[in-house]
Amino acid sequence: MTNPFTTNRKIFASYTLIWLFIFIASIILIFFTQDIKINSAVIDSAIFTFIYFILGIGVWYTVRFNSLETYKTPKLILNHFVASILTSTIWITTGSLISLNILSDDPNYVLFINSSYIWRFLIGILFYIVLISIDYLIIYYNNFQEKVLKESELKSLVKEAELNALKYQINPHFIFNSLNSISSLTISNPQLAQEMTIKLSTFLRNTLSRNDSQKSKLIDEINAAKLYLEIEKIRFDDKFELIEEIDLECKNFEVPSMILQPLFENSIKHGVYESLEKVTIKLSCHKENNFIKISVENDFDNKSISKKGAGIGLKNIYNRMKLIYGQENLVEVIKEKSKFIVNIYIPNN
Amino acid sequence: MEKIKTVIIDDEKLARDIIKNFLSTNNEFEIIAEASNGFEGIKLINELKPDLIFLDVQMPKINGFEMLELIENPPLIIFTTAFDQYAIKAFEINAIDYLLKPFSKERFNESLERIKKIHLENDKSKIEIFNKISNNLPNQENLERIVFKNGSKINVIDVENIIFIEAQDDYTMFYTKEGNFLKQKTMKYFEENLDPKKFIRTHRSYIVKLDQIKQIDIIEKESYQLTLFNSKKLPVSKSGYSKLKELFN
Repeated sequence: MTNPFTTNRKIFASYTLIWLFIFIASIILIFFTQDIKINSAVIDSAIFTFIYFILGIGVWYTVRFNSLETYKTPKLILNHFVASILTSTIWITTGSLISLNILSDDPNYVLFINSSYIWRFLIGILFYIVLISIDYLIIYYNNFQEKVLKESELKSLVKEAELNALKYQINPHFIFNSLNSISSLTISNPQLAQEMTIKLSTFLRNTLSRNDSQKSKLIDEINAAKLYLEIEKIRFDDKFELIEEIDLECKNFEVPSMILQPLFENSIKHGVYESLEKVTIKLSCHKENNFIKISVENDFDNKSISKKGAGIGLKNIYNRMKLIYGQENLVEVIKEKSKFIVNIYIPNN
Repeated sequence: MEKIKTVIIDDEKLARDIIKNFLSTNNEFEIIAEASNGFEGIKLINELKPDLIFLDVQMPKINGFEMLELIENPPLIIFTTAFDQYAIKAFEINAIDYLLKPFSKERFNESLERIKKIHLENDKSKIEIFNKISNNLPNQENLERIVFKNGSKINVIDVENIIFIEAQDDYTMFYTKEGNFLKQKTMKYFEENLDPKKFIRTHRSYIVKLDQIKQIDIIEKESYQLTLFNSKKLPVSKSGYSKLKELFN
């Protein structure tokens, strides 16, 4: 934060006005309580108020670098104690040097100033305390406003992220094309249209209730993901087939929920959507050392030029696995000439 | 009256079925063929010369727009797709209509009315529309691949494999790692649609892939030449040189 006394016009104007008021008050006080000529009182007041006017702007920096958040209270008090004594001393020394220089021929004034050091010093400390209080208030107000602004920014960021996540979960292209298939089937095969509607609804319900931290049995995961494949199968008229090789002991194994479906989506997107021939998707699951290895494999043409955004689904899985199991390298992607394989290793403890 | 010869191009059978069904009650139209991908589409259009095609955008290997680039005299086009993001591009290349899947029969019939009107009024207006197809406006995204037709052979080239592009009158010659290909599009189009982080127009007649540049030499005052890794040498214009200088600093 920059010095508000020099950068903010309003604050600077109020600050100057206050000092002008102090200047006048000082003249009146000196003139009416002491036996001193009016012009001496004016000159004295002008010099001392002007010097503190300048020093006061500098006091901002002692506040700026002694923020309430970073220092403990005793340390703060000590810092300001030293700073206030210094400020006051500088004020009186420079002020009296100048005023004695100008008013040396006024003996009453010389007498007056010599007797006034102690209360001037105390006033200097008082000014300092008032000034730092104002400065802290300004900082507090600014921080408060910034916080409000940041909070609203953060809120919109979170909203955006949530929306993106939802968009990613429910691929609109897939939904609209599926609805188009249903629309077509209502004419040619109402029975199948009805089946597909139910499948799509179940699929949507599953995706909407998705919870990233949940775990479920592998067999349930497989069934949920197969639902997705069945919908795509109706759309693509048997353009692909699924082969399963799942060891019995894997079926009840706990895996992060919704871990399989993105893999199948990937196979469909890059294998089936981009292929002219029938594609085979193979799902296998075996025990391997201390891991359960789940593997999804599909035919793919490594010559087909991949679209942007490819790999986001896989990256998400990688990040989720890392988060859940606290281990890297649990996801392995193998790109062969005509095969695309993703292996997921689930620690078996 | 002669019927409007129609071809349906979509990779999903059910999507083709509903178009067929909606068309069956309109006896002004006759479906002469169906294709499930862009390659078949090109073949059918060239052989059968239909008056109208229903075209999906997202299809394997080459998409609907890329397919159109490879056809010399495209028929009337109605796009059918689940994505609304291609609508602007579709109208830029003068598609008659853009149907968002799933579409109603009423909406579908509106498209057919438009087709009938254009088909009846005069055939010549068609030609005017189609001439614009080759000058389509820039898309929002950078090109990832480019399709070429060489006789009956179609090549899809990843832009990563381009070495440099040379202007040849109204055509552009692509020198790539997979061979040389000619494309009927302007240098300006490619200058605008290739990733500017990867490609640079170094000369009125050349666009070069940045990672193919080996060195730049001064030949004489204000005259530069660059050498590619395949040891091909290309001239560099003054503005091309200042662009290169900016990039490599």
